[in-house]
Amino acid sequence: MLLFRRIYQFLIIYALGIAFLLLLKYGLRLSDYVIPGPIEIWRIFGEVFRNYFGDVMNTLSVSVIGQIASICMAFFVGILGRQTSWFGSFVKVAAYNIQAYPIVAIAPIIFILLGDGFVSRLLIAAMICYFPLLLSVLGIMSEPIDDIEHFYRVTGRMRWQLEIRIRAYENLSKLTTVISGSATLAMAGTIVAEFIAANEGIGYSIRVALYQSDLSKVLAALFLIGITLSVYQGLLELIGHYIKEKLK
Amino acid sequence: MRLFCHNISFRYPNAENDVFRNLSYQISEPGFNALFGPSGVGKTSFARIISGEIKNFSGEISSQGIARIAYSYNLERLPGWSGVGTHIEQNIPPAQKRLKDELINVFGLENCIHLRFSQLSMGQKNRVNLLRYLLEGFDLLIMDESLANVDEQTRETIILKIKEIFPETLFLYISHNVIEVSKFCKDILVFRGHEKSPLMVRGQNLRAGQALNQSVLDKTMLEIMNASV
Repeated sequence: MLLFRRIYQFLIIYALGIAFLLLLKYGLRLSDYVIPGPIEIWRIFGEVFRNYFGDVMNTLSVSVIGQIASICMAFFVGILGRQTSWFGSFVKVAAYNIQAYPIVAIAPIIFILLGDGFVSRLLIAAMICYFPLLLSVLGIMSEPIDDIEHFYRVTGRMRWQLEIRIRAYENLSKLTTVISGSATLAMAGTIVAEFIAANEGIGYSIRVALYQSDLSKVLAALFLIGITLSVYQGLLELIGHYIKEKLK
Repeated sequence: MRLFCHNISFRYPNAENDVFRNLSYQISEPGFNALFGPSGVGKTSFARIISGEIKNFSGEISSQGIARIAYSYNLERLPGWSGVGTHIEQNIPPAQKRLKDELINVFGLENCIHLRFSQLSMGQKNRVNLLRYLLEGFDLLIMDESLANVDEQTRETIILKIKEIFPETLFLYISHNVIEVSKFCKDILVFRGHEKSPLMVRGQNLRAGQALNQSVLDKTMLEIMNASV
């Protein structure tokens, strides 16, 4: 149900977007060169579908790996930073300060140092979704669940593993939402990286389409990105929902 | 066993008034004692000072023969990832297993021990929470409305049984039920707000098998009500 809701929500938004462009085209009598007609869009879509689908899968694979790396890092640092010690405060302050800086702005440095291959794309994707994840995980892990933790503290049974388990369990809905939301960021990060300097992925294909001023190709790419991301996010939400149901 | 609180004063940060000032209180033997008074007069704050959860107070607290103190309250929860019975099982020493079974029976929890905490009623939740504290073998256990939402008959059964099973434990019972504290507690410290010092009233301290003296109970309740005004 969650999965289908995600997909039809995207289809509605995409259809509205296309309708708006066509309205603009016919309302302002724009040429097919600026905004192609529906038949042309459909034709190009059929032409590029196979290649673009491969590109989107390529981008998605980088995003997924980047997101997994970000989740692991965010949990590692978030768990360390949950403490009220000076180290915990240091991690929190550092995270808040660093996340305020636009990561995309340092992307060129990454490309200069690492070239335009897989590692650069992965690094940028991971960095873009890492900080929002970290802030959420830090917030969740630093907030005591007093009415549950009290007993374990009083009886001397509280261990860091139990503390994390309690806080993660109590905030499962928030964590699921944050993780599924970070999928969009990871995908956006990868596309931005590809758009800036990579030589593969859907971001790279969009850059080529842009140089060709081919809006049909861009629209086809957007459709495939949107539908893939909807399915991926829907699946993440479905997994989260399944875990919550199982633990109820 | 002795708990001695001398000249305890406490004020919450940024508050205008002390919650209480120069409060002195002494308990010299195990048993059921109560802290009584309307909401907001400082019963919980005082209990948390005794248990060591509040530290920024003035005055002195000393004890003899009291090594382990715990403050338990009625809004506590158990983690939701497994059943209540599993949680209790995991947190008690093997030697306490028989006691656990006995308490489950006395507390009337046989039918809900396999359920998750979230599936229990409020009264069942409070009983389960109290049960796990009792199994820890504290020397002083503070019960802050620990039997709230439990029916009167079951509450009476539980209190009488606790007195019987734990004769060497000191209990500080916080309740808003004047009949209950008058009936079952020995010393009742009645809190009267920050302008008046708390007063001590002697309760009936009823035990299992003892007959209730209605006229003494009425007198105790009257004393408590007068002290509260």
